[in-house]
Amino acid sequence: MSLLEIRGLSVEFPAGENAVKAVSNVSFEVEEGETFGLIGESGSGKSVIGLALLRLLPESAVISGEVIFQGQNLFSLKPSELRNIRGKKISLMPQNPAGALNPVLKNGLQIEEVFEERRVDKKEGMKRSLKLMKKLFLTDPEKLCTLYPHQLSGGMRQRLIACMSLSFEPELLIADEPTKGLDPEAKAGAVDLFTKIKKEYGKTMLLITHDLDLALEVCDRIAVMYAGEIVELNEASKVLNTPVHPYTKGLISAQPRNGLVPLRGQSPSRIKLPEGCFFNERCRCSGIECSKKHPEIKKHKGGWVRCHFQSLQ
Amino acid sequence: MSFPVLTVNELAMKFGTSEVFKNISFSVARGETLGLFGKSGSGKTTIGRCIVGLEKPTGGKILVHGEDILSMGKKEFRKLRPKIQMIFQHPETSLDPRMKAFENLIEPLKIHSGLKQDSLLKRGEELAELTGLRPEHLVRYPGHLSGGEIQRIVLARIMALSPDFIVADEPTSMLDVSVQAQILRLMQKLQRETGVSYLLISHNLEVLRKVCHRIAYLENGTITSIENINRGIKT
Amino acid sequence: MVDTMDNAFAKKLKKEDVLITEVYGSEFSKRLFQRKDMLFALVALLLFTGLALFAPFISPYDPNANELRNKNLSPSEDHLLGTDYLGRDLLSRILIGARTSLSIAFGVVLISLITGTALGCAAGYYGGIVDEGISRVIDVFLSFPGVIFALAIMGVLGRGVFNLMLALSIVQWAKYARVMRGQVLSIKKQEFVLSAVTSGADDFYIIRRHIVPNAIAPLIVLATIDIGHVILSIATLSFLGIGLPADVPEWGAMLSAGKEFMRTAPYQTIFPGLAITFVVVIFSILGDGMRDILDPNHEGGEIY
Repeated sequence: MSLLEIRGLSVEFPAGENAVKAVSNVSFEVEEGETFGLIGESGSGKSVIGLALLRLLPESAVISGEVIFQGQNLFSLKPSELRNIRGKKISLMPQNPAGALNPVLKNGLQIEEVFEERRVDKKEGMKRSLKLMKKLFLTDPEKLCTLYPHQLSGGMRQRLIACMSLSFEPELLIADEPTKGLDPEAKAGAVDLFTKIKKEYGKTMLLITHDLDLALEVCDRIAVMYAGEIVELNEASKVLNTPVHPYTKGLISAQPRNGLVPLRGQSPSRIKLPEGCFFNERCRCSGIECSKKHPEIKKHKGGWVRCHFQSLQ
Repeated sequence: MSFPVLTVNELAMKFGTSEVFKNISFSVARGETLGLFGKSGSGKTTIGRCIVGLEKPTGGKILVHGEDILSMGKKEFRKLRPKIQMIFQHPETSLDPRMKAFENLIEPLKIHSGLKQDSLLKRGEELAELTGLRPEHLVRYPGHLSGGEIQRIVLARIMALSPDFIVADEPTSMLDVSVQAQILRLMQKLQRETGVSYLLISHNLEVLRKVCHRIAYLENGTITSIENINRGIKT
Repeated sequence: MVDTMDNAFAKKLKKEDVLITEVYGSEFSKRLFQRKDMLFALVALLLFTGLALFAPFISPYDPNANELRNKNLSPSEDHLLGTDYLGRDLLSRILIGARTSLSIAFGVVLISLITGTALGCAAGYYGGIVDEGISRVIDVFLSFPGVIFALAIMGVLGRGVFNLMLALSIVQWAKYARVMRGQVLSIKKQEFVLSAVTSGADDFYIIRRHIVPNAIAPLIVLATIDIGHVILSIATLSFLGIGLPADVPEWGAMLSAGKEFMRTAPYQTIFPGLAITFVVVIFSILGDGMRDILDPNHEGGEIY
């Protein structure tokens, strides 16, 4: 049985008389010990999925579908049961390393705080954290604990945040856009960091990112999201080296090193989604069928693709 | 004799005793894109801000069409200002959050052209079309627009002034990769159509290699080399 | 006309039948109606202002008519809230007193807001020696304790409505100037201001179109809450006997006069006291609500 199973997850945000469809009918499984990547542009709904897993969405969000974690449906848990899972079994690594640390508290205190909130023995916890920090190549973690967050570089801060989110050895770590806004050096550092977490720690990760380089280096499998749904799902190297869906292809050739070829047009309005394929308007190889019928996700070469023409490509 | 659009001559900047940069010299021809590469904190943004007159360098000259802008009078410089424009790194603060996108877009026109409402509307729509904006973007507040959409509006509002030179300070570093490609290609299109020159400041060498004619490398506060790029652009 | 380009554009789109599904950017009124406490406070304020405005017509008696044989009456059918030690009708005096308090408070806050905004803007925007000068003056004015400062000024100027307004404005404006200066300092560095500068806009245009609209929200909040505070200060000064001339009905003065008869006629202090409390609370709620409503990107206090 897989560790995390998402079945038919849809999320809508009411907006006036309409609703913004942030996520529509997303299903995937994450196996134990695997690193699963959710990639896509901002606004594709990938971060909403991460938040929905931990039920951190605003109350106005209309959520349907099931999220099964270790055999339990997270959506039917009581708040107290949910608290036991949040942070302990599923941990979220926040997006913005600069804003995630309290600037007036020393780093050590912030790490301790994590344990305090959970009523776990602080000394025991700190010992574990320090060990973990050493593993994630933070040299001299004891000294680091006596500094304030602003005295660390962006990369260091991110590692510290990573350690904090791993404090309780969660079964599942969700990392939301860990490389957003970092400069190239820090980005390279993040790739190292996640490779290391994967190797040293060996637990399951859900990596939400728009950084294809990071995804290729770290992820085992990847789901590509477009306009709130998965358009392609397969092993990372297959998705990024031999993409099948036209959107994935477009995303890859938009990379500077692959020619900086922009995708035509813009994502469709999420209030009134097109009848046919959501990518139809921007697709370079759309046919008559594409504008009329919304494609179902189908098996293709060991993976899944949502496209009418996958067999032709 | 015709001058280059922009010439920067031995520009230097000091904060107190610490030197941010010195001996910065380059020139940019009409229709050319010069890349400025440097690590974060290397002072490349400050160079850009000196060129558009947001900061005063402590030494050197900045010549626009051969005229030194640093020795100009305030009035004279204000007349020249529309010709040298800047795109900023952070889209989220690039537009006034209390004015809708359209109002933001036509602001420079209102300041300079003295056009009537009808012509303003028409010109605004032309600019929006030029930069690939749809009407529904223009009626929103900036807080409800994506980074890519905002950078388009910023470009449209800059083009309203028909500038000769644009300093683009990391215009795409906050954007998604696919949107980055759209914005950079849009900038190239505008260059082909109007002959505007760019100083493209970035820490991403791959991007610079793709769109610049020449790249200046900024290291330890000075330009170490300027590389000619043989661009085989596929359009 | 300058400010309606957005509307002109929206109208044009409608004329040309361009379909827009405008679902974002909930407008001021919509946000207002989501706040029940704000609505309540607004209705209460409107009622209250109405009573104050029409006080001369609706108050049952002349507020200054002495009827010594009816002095210190408890509430009755004739005198709904009773009478004071000179036999004046308390209800009438409270109603007329509302006029005094509200109008002076509005005046004081308006004067302080305008002065504070102008000086704070100048200090924050121009910086340098202008900032140094204005900031020192602000410091000086803020270093005096409020009511005592006002008391001293009143001592020099003497009683009177205008003098009271002037004294309280002198005490209040520096607070606004300081908040405004801080706001301007952070806003003038933002890119949209810089790009207005590089497009050649002059200082006055930038201050008027960009700086003030983006900086004013906290000042509006401050002003709203301050109206309550100023009413309290007026009452305090009158209570101490140096606010307004004795014949002007005012809540603080009524409290002061009533305190002699606390045991025998408690209504003389209870009713003016309630009026003061009521108004101060209303303006606190309003001020608090303004904070949320004035933010165009406000999401309604939800945590994502």
